[in-house]
Amino acid sequence: MVKLPKTFKTAALILLLVLPVALSACSANNGVAQEGGSSGAAAAADPSPGASSAEASETGGELSYALVSSPDSLDPHRSGLSVSSRVIRTMFDNLVVQLPDHTIQPWLATEWTESEDGLSYIFKLRQDVKFHDGTPFNAEAVKYNFDRVIDPNTKGVSALALLSPYESSEVIDEYTIKLTLSKPSRAFLGNLSAAQLSIVSPTAAAQSGDRFGQHPVGTGPFKFVKWEDNSEIKVERNPDYNWAPALVDNKGSAYLDGIVFKIVPEDATRIGSVQSGQALAAESVPPQNVAALKSDPKFKLLQANTIGLPYTLFINQNREPWNELQARQALQYGIDAGTIVKTLYQGTYEQAWSALTPGMFGYDASLENSIKPDADKADSLLERLGWIKGPDGIRQKDGKRLTLRYVVTSPNREKRNDIAVIVQQQLKKIGIEVEVVVTKDIRTEIFVNDNYDVFGNSDVSGDPSWLSVYYHTAPKGAIGNMSHVSAPELDRWLEQGAVEKDDGRRAELYRNVQQYIRDNAVMVPIYVFPYTVATSRSVENLKFDPLGFPLFNDVRLTK
Amino acid sequence: MVRVVIGRIVSSLLVVVSSSVLVFVIMYLLPGDPIDSMVNVAATPPEVIASLRHQLGVDKPLPQQLADYFGKLLRGDLGTSLLTSEPVLPKIAAQLPPTLELAAVSLAIALIVGLALGVLSAIHRNGPIDWIARFVGLLGISMPNFWSGILLLLVFSIRLGWFPAMGSDGWRTLALPSLTLGLIGAGFLVRIVRNSMLEVMSEPYIVMLRAKGLTERAVMYRHALRNALIPAITVIGLLAGDMLAGTVVMETVFARQGIGRMISDAILSKDMPVVQGVILFSAVVYVVINLLVDLSYSWIDPRVRLRHRTADTGGAIR
Amino acid sequence: MRERLNLNIMLGKRELRPYRTGGLRPRSYNVLLIAAAAAIAWFAGCAIAPDWLAPYPPTEMSSDSLMQPPSWAHPFGTDYFGRDVLSLVVYGSRDSLFIGVASILIGGLAGGAIGAISGYIGGLTDAVFMRAVDVLMTIPGVLLALAVASALGPSLFNMVAAVSLGTIPGFARLMRGQTLGIKNRPYIVASRSVGVTRFGIYWKHVLPNSLSPLVVMATLGIGGSILTGSGLSFLGVGVLKEIPDWGELLSQGRSYLTVAWWICTFPGLAIALLVLSVNVIGDWLRDRLDPRRRGEAN
Repeated sequence: MVKLPKTFKTAALILLLVLPVALSACSANNGVAQEGGSSGAAAAADPSPGASSAEASETGGELSYALVSSPDSLDPHRSGLSVSSRVIRTMFDNLVVQLPDHTIQPWLATEWTESEDGLSYIFKLRQDVKFHDGTPFNAEAVKYNFDRVIDPNTKGVSALALLSPYESSEVIDEYTIKLTLSKPSRAFLGNLSAAQLSIVSPTAAAQSGDRFGQHPVGTGPFKFVKWEDNSEIKVERNPDYNWAPALVDNKGSAYLDGIVFKIVPEDATRIGSVQSGQALAAESVPPQNVAALKSDPKFKLLQANTIGLPYTLFINQNREPWNELQARQALQYGIDAGTIVKTLYQGTYEQAWSALTPGMFGYDASLENSIKPDADKADSLLERLGWIKGPDGIRQKDGKRLTLRYVVTSPNREKRNDIAVIVQQQLKKIGIEVEVVVTKDIRTEIFVNDNYDVFGNSDVSGDPSWLSVYYHTAPKGAIGNMSHVSAPELDRWLEQGAVEKDDGRRAELYRNVQQYIRDNAVMVPIYVFPYTVATSRSVENLKFDPLGFPLFNDVRLTK
Repeated sequence: MVRVVIGRIVSSLLVVVSSSVLVFVIMYLLPGDPIDSMVNVAATPPEVIASLRHQLGVDKPLPQQLADYFGKLLRGDLGTSLLTSEPVLPKIAAQLPPTLELAAVSLAIALIVGLALGVLSAIHRNGPIDWIARFVGLLGISMPNFWSGILLLLVFSIRLGWFPAMGSDGWRTLALPSLTLGLIGAGFLVRIVRNSMLEVMSEPYIVMLRAKGLTERAVMYRHALRNALIPAITVIGLLAGDMLAGTVVMETVFARQGIGRMISDAILSKDMPVVQGVILFSAVVYVVINLLVDLSYSWIDPRVRLRHRTADTGGAIR
Repeated sequence: MRERLNLNIMLGKRELRPYRTGGLRPRSYNVLLIAAAAAIAWFAGCAIAPDWLAPYPPTEMSSDSLMQPPSWAHPFGTDYFGRDVLSLVVYGSRDSLFIGVASILIGGLAGGAIGAISGYIGGLTDAVFMRAVDVLMTIPGVLLALAVASALGPSLFNMVAAVSLGTIPGFARLMRGQTLGIKNRPYIVASRSVGVTRFGIYWKHVLPNSLSPLVVMATLGIGGSILTGSGLSFLGVGVLKEIPDWGELLSQGRSYLTVAWWICTFPGLAIALLVLSVNVIGDWLRDRLDPRRRGEAN
């Protein structure tokens, strides 16, 4: 009990020092908590204890947390998988943090300035931070990190994409660093908050080399203990931790003694492990289990919508007849995303309406409910193009049947393949024959052979400039534009949006983009993915960051 | 005898190497490569992907990859996982014990339950015990193992809370997966033991023993059973292989550690060195088990000579 | 693998000891046999004319009747698309039977041919063929099928190919053993001395006499193949079709067990019933076709 007041004092001190930040943090926290609570009835009932209740409630205990799949690597710069980020977040920190209101706040950096031309940033760093291995955190370490990301030997792909257009960095003094960009980017600062750009210990990274991903060392609230393949990843409290971001209340070391991530791929087993008390929390609750868990007082169900690009069905404009607007519009009217969401996700997933998810900067809420499924409209659009229903109900034109090649991936993530099964039946009604093709080799099928009419994809991102990857006219080398949409005005908006400094104008640009995509039926948005976690009643204050990654700093276990 | 043994070892080696090559070729033909599960392909420039493929060495032509692999193998190097950069050998070594545990306990359950039910079933032919035993036997072999596994899990772990639903530490986590696999194995054994028991019991020497006035019990357990077990023993090797293969599914259902889950994941993500390592191991195990089975076979039934069987079946195995 | 076991039951017996048995069969055996035959006939009927037997079109979805428990309108309930589970099971029989029968047919023909050539010609051919079979046997059948199915890509035919590959070794070994046993019998040796060609002898005498165990094994193997196919669906290389097969239905429905048990239970029972029936028939065939047992069965 000697330790608690100490932590409290330090926490208070920091609160005073960074008062403005702390204030926005509080509101941010409420926002986050509500996001979880609004869907999870049990969670909303919990009062969120501030630092003052630290003495009243118990600390300690180990949280067991069941994951669906195994991370490939715990090296932030190397892995691009969401599951890796969930674990990486517990052990690593970033220079900055992004709040749900889209503002960027300090984390390991205390303040920063952007040059007039947007080509360089100067960061002042915290001086009291140490890596788990004792290495001091300083400008030298930050430089090492970013240079490591752009080093091809790191084999970092996601990190590299997020860091671009970073060019170099320069150590100004021990706690000041200047980052230079090759071109201005509005997304750059926000991207520095991504898990993939976490700061790793330079000593450990140099020592472990290629195998750093199995022996991660960071500055985060938890330290790495062990990783047993296909079984568990264990982390323990970092007692020296004192630099939590504004997303959480507890700025000091975590209340938990540690976390054990278990890897449990089978749905019944994962959910069953929480029901039988073998694990305290399990992620990715299948929609059909949500209702039962919500109504059971022994459990809580937490849900956090992820932000970025929702799951959308891209329509390939390189292939006939989908190069014609009316044909694409027929799909827009023929595919009933509302029914899909209601059927497969039973109200646990929200229907998507735009190229961006709600909660993204620049999201255009006016698109919601703007298009209603209408089979008659779809029929007449296709008829106008000369596609006439044949004897078997499938449309024909010049002896050609109207077929649609719908490519899906394996395994069946988030029931995406079941969506294809429903779309197949929905489009049959308007006379389109859907051929569903399952492949593991997306790269060849989609990006090399371009052999699809419809392909679905989603992405997690904190900044709307990420839309460029999917909707900007594809320059040679970029392949994310799966619709093959190419419009000068679209390109112009996307390019301006990437650098526009005025937030109001920037939002306007992205609203234009979203409307263009809807009006030209570039794709059909389907659902927004919520990250769901079922926990035992005893788990309190599990929070999520805006991207839907869990935050364990405030978690307590009650008896 | 020595010549026969040496011949078998050589041909076994040949078999192990060929199966390794075969799997290598199948894996090479597998669409995609490990990079696809590592990156968001849509947001990654093709030249970055190309350079990653080059670093992993998966862009080389098949013969060169094969040569590289076997060159390393000869030096005792199984390579490193393409996905995690970990060396394969320690990875397998770490995952092996839970798999062997599961397979061994499953085999034991299969043997105990299968033998007991088979014998009882034959002795009480057409009685209720016979019917129950045969029903259990048929049930065991007619349900997909993942289904029966999940059913056991729902009942004994989630409803009743008797056993943990997941994990691979301690005997309690072994209970449900080994029961699932064991009952399938028992299903096969019941049929074999029952049939062979019935056959033996109608042999003239058994009739003679009975006529000599031995108690039924003595006839059964001292004479009939011993001879009836021979076919059962011949399938232990097969059964052991079956149990090992069954771990692939059980380890996923019950979230256990083990090489079964490791290799099925590796096949799906095209992590070639891991697949190769496990297949190599499995081939060696197969060859060794069969050697042991043949040896024990001739030991139990002296009429079957190793040399004879070798000549008869062309050298190896069954 | 299951085929291999059955093979061994047979080989084991043959090699070990001559036997005479009597009165093995319980009286109720006939009842079981008739029930099994009836079940198989029913499934075959489903596969041939599903539209007569299914109450609804199998692809008819309804978001108003999702996951409804069994009732008079839907005797097996409805699934998560609102499809009628009974209709799905009826229609699904076609592909399920196809997987079972086709993969055994392919595996049996290929394995039988390898075994026959190996056993009859002998020598180097035999050695090479049998080593090749050993190679196939070193790789656990599930994994081989998994690798091949993912290499070929998901389609019904590819799944059949993947499953059949694992059944080849069993057939090859059985056929080889049969051929070896028969070719050295006195009457074969005698007809050779009379001057009949090698192929002629094989065609007229060896082949007909070596086929029956193969037929038995094939029958018993159908069940195993269906199980292997459903295992592939579980491991994630199942085939996505408008009308799923039973294995796919079972595998997709398993995560609904706690909220809607009927979705996967009925396809699962269909698999179990079919495998069971096929095994009963296979046992009976074995007794009928075994020359030393002929006349005892029934």
